[in-house]
Amino acid sequence: MAHDRVVVALYAWLTRFLPPDMQGERGEMLEAFRDLASDDRREGRGGWEAWRRLAALPPVLAMEWLEFMGVRPAPGRHDRIGIGRGSMGWFRNLRFAVRTLRKAPAFAVTSVLLMAVGVGAVTAIYTLVDHVLLRPLPYPAADRLVAVDRGSHSGPLFQGMEEFNGVEEWGAARTERVNLVGQGAPARLELAMVSDHFFDLFGARAQRGRLLEPDDFPAPSSVVVSAEAWRRIWGADPDLVGRTISVNGHSLTVVGVLEDGFAAPEALVGRQVDLWLPLDWASAELTQHDYSILEVAGRMKPGVTLVDVQDEMDDLLTRMASVHGNYTDRDGSPRVLPVLALADQTVRSVRAGLGLLMGAVGLLLLVACANVAHLFLARGLGRTREMAVRRAMGAGTGALAQQLLVESLVVGIAGGAVGTALAMGGLRAFVALNPTALPRQASVTVDPGVLLFVVGVSAATSLVFGLLPALRSMRGKLADELRGGGRSATAGRGTGLLRNGLVTAEVALSLVLVAGAGLLLRSFMAVRAQDPGFAVAGVWTIPINLPEPDSPDAYRETMDEILRQVAGVPGVRSAAYALTAPLDRTGGSRCCWRTSPSVPGREAGDQALQTMMHPVTAGYFETAGIRIVAGAGWGGADVHAEPVPVVVNETYARELAGSVSAAVGTSITFGAMEARVVGVAVDNRHYGLDQPVGKGTYIPVERLPFPITLGTVMARVDPGAEGSLPATLREAVWAAEPGLPIPTVRTMQEALEGSTAGRRFESVMFGVFASIALLLAAGGLYGTLLYMAGQRRKEMGIRVALGASRSRIEGEVLRRGIAVAGLGVVVGLAGAWGANRLLESRVWGVDRGDPWALGGAAAILMVTAVVASWLPARRAGRVDPLEALRME
Amino acid sequence: MDDITRHLPLAPRDLLILAVLAEGPLHGYGIIKAVEARAFQGVHLDPANLYRVLRRMRALGWLAEEEDGGERRRTHVITPAGRAVLRAELGRLEALLAQARPAVTGS
Repeated sequence: MAHDRVVVALYAWLTRFLPPDMQGERGEMLEAFRDLASDDRREGRGGWEAWRRLAALPPVLAMEWLEFMGVRPAPGRHDRIGIGRGSMGWFRNLRFAVRTLRKAPAFAVTSVLLMAVGVGAVTAIYTLVDHVLLRPLPYPAADRLVAVDRGSHSGPLFQGMEEFNGVEEWGAARTERVNLVGQGAPARLELAMVSDHFFDLFGARAQRGRLLEPDDFPAPSSVVVSAEAWRRIWGADPDLVGRTISVNGHSLTVVGVLEDGFAAPEALVGRQVDLWLPLDWASAELTQHDYSILEVAGRMKPGVTLVDVQDEMDDLLTRMASVHGNYTDRDGSPRVLPVLALADQTVRSVRAGLGLLMGAVGLLLLVACANVAHLFLARGLGRTREMAVRRAMGAGTGALAQQLLVESLVVGIAGGAVGTALAMGGLRAFVALNPTALPRQASVTVDPGVLLFVVGVSAATSLVFGLLPALRSMRGKLADELRGGGRSATAGRGTGLLRNGLVTAEVALSLVLVAGAGLLLRSFMAVRAQDPGFAVAGVWTIPINLPEPDSPDAYRETMDEILRQVAGVPGVRSAAYALTAPLDRTGGSRCCWRTSPSVPGREAGDQALQTMMHPVTAGYFETAGIRIVAGAGWGGADVHAEPVPVVVNETYARELAGSVSAAVGTSITFGAMEARVVGVAVDNRHYGLDQPVGKGTYIPVERLPFPITLGTVMARVDPGAEGSLPATLREAVWAAEPGLPIPTVRTMQEALEGSTAGRRFESVMFGVFASIALLLAAGGLYGTLLYMAGQRRKEMGIRVALGASRSRIEGEVLRRGIAVAGLGVVVGLAGAWGANRLLESRVWGVDRGDPWALGGAAAILMVTAVVASWLPARRAGRVDPLEALRME
Repeated sequence: MDDITRHLPLAPRDLLILAVLAEGPLHGYGIIKAVEARAFQGVHLDPANLYRVLRRMRALGWLAEEEDGGERRRTHVITPAGRAVLRAELGRLEALLAQARPAVTGS
């Protein structure tokens, strides 16, 4: 019966893991088991008796090993092998192992360092994964918190969501940067405006005063201060509550201070919030359907699923779609806003990246482990004689195995300890260098859970990769080894295969890493090779955030004055400002004003007509270096013309009129505003080099229909005028608007670097891991060949004496190395092609089978293999026949 | 031999193994069959466990191994020390029964 055979085979396989001193009884055990199984069948007891017997085996295995290692006292064990008794034996073995390892410092240090590199890298990344991805969010009933995907949402939509049956409470937030005056130097603060259930939703409490209450919401004038800002700005002033502060020209009363350590989800309010205000539901932005500005989250009622909430969301959008075009998709159907767990939304952007790094360090650990195995194997072979002598002196196999076990554990523990230190240092560097800030990274430390992980990883690796090779060294025939034949004979065929297999695996694993690094690098280069469509050299940008203006005109007056000052700076050739400059917003978000106009001859509400609106000054195109390819921009006097003159980009022009040249003259209606296309600007990558161009419309900032606070001033300067420019530009802004905080003045070049820094970081990290793996693989190959050459020294000496040329001997060693590496390359290429599938979502403009990445990796590996083989080959070729023969 | 009573009471499984071996030498499979046949209800012995117990008893000097003529298998033989332990345990159990039985039969 096949079923029986499976049980017996499983039992046989499991018993292989009995400690060495039990192996003698294994045959009998197996036989008894087999007989019992066939009895059971004959007597019609069915197969399950055998399975019950099988199930009893694992606990026995565990007990046997504990006794074997002396962790548990075991009567009848070790007595006959004369070394150690019970826990004393364990301790003595430990001392003995440390002594032995100290006598072989090169081996000990190398293997500890190898372990440390592998374990350290894995630990560092695992710590990040654990903190960022695995831990639950620190809020009450965090598993029921949900978020709504696809960016920000409009006020009316949020109010519709508040009617959902399946959700206990919703919270909404919008953030802004504001200027605080009257408290020392003007400070720029992060402000969040939140809905009334926001604090309940995330379980926040006040340490002083109170949080926001429903009464605060009509005509908001209350503010809650975060604990951190309370200390930083007000020096933990105990009397702050009840005082009035001036924020963006508004007087607000501080009603409370939040408790320490409260942090709302970054997906909603960003990393830092200093002030919390009630949302003003009467404000224009929150009543408009096409002003998507709220980040929302909610808590489901117990027992409600994401699917239920999604159903309600779909219903709501179906209803809203009939009210306003902002809720319909391209094809006119209601938009779908996916409801997902807040925990998923928080980490989604980094999940793939971290998973990728985890994979990379996992490969690195494997390569490091293969090298450790090499070392133990070589050491074991070198010690066959020692082991044989000790066996001849009466040491039992068990005692020797026990001692080797302790030795590899000592290496593992030391490697784990050094690796933890590396991990802690590496983690700090990683968090500091990583340009894409990770959510929750502030809390990342190496803690007990992670230490447990380290202990597990290092113990497991040292056992598997240290003990198994060492045990091989005890298999030989005692008499052969004592005779000293060990040196003249080549190492056993099995051992040679194992070593070659390890090197092949190392080469293959390294190739996967190198190819991954290559793919990421190629993708980075492909992004950087994009033509941005705007000028990068000599353009400076100054982000401006004004105190909330009353009207579009107030905004423009202030900005115009700033512009006048900036344009007057010596060396500035032209200047302009816009709601957003190119690369102000990158990474997939589309700020800030999107609308669906109507066009004669097109159906009303056609979503294909949706466009991003860029309010800009007349000098924008010249300053930003964006060419007008048809028609012209608007001049100073045209801005007040009717219809409003607008410029569209090429993509939108083709949507409007089928071709770039035909678009000029097209009429468009934006809500109440009649506009006419006067020019077509070249397509440019306003939202990042790796983002699609999208449809864009530039309208004169003078015709802005609502007030805004954001703007970016751009200045194109003469070459050579850049020295003290940042300071001069700041002063120019302050001449117009004293005390306005200006966080960054940067060149377009810097913005470009910043927008691709994440990709560069990923390829650098991969490159670092790949280089280490490459080095380790080269070391493994080098060591193996050197060892092989050493083993065959006598044979080679004889051949040289008989007239074989040195180059022939050299060639033989070289060929062997190249063959082993070549096999690894072939296996690795297949692996890389498969593994690169995981990279696909991270790369841009490159195929996963990219011949440059794969071929380059293969070439790098082969060159490395040749170099690593050449040194041992030369050494083999220089063998002195006399000396080699005298060694006998 | 040391004081036997410090090994008492025996685990039921150990007692059964000594008891079946007291009737004659057996190899591992035979012990399992005999114990399972004799057991009051559902004592299961799996080979790995059995060999653990056998080794422990050998170390205590209760059992010895014998090469079994032509067969490869070793048989296990109870030693005088093993018999002494078995006797001591049975004596202990009988005394216990003698004290406990009136409580049941008398009611």
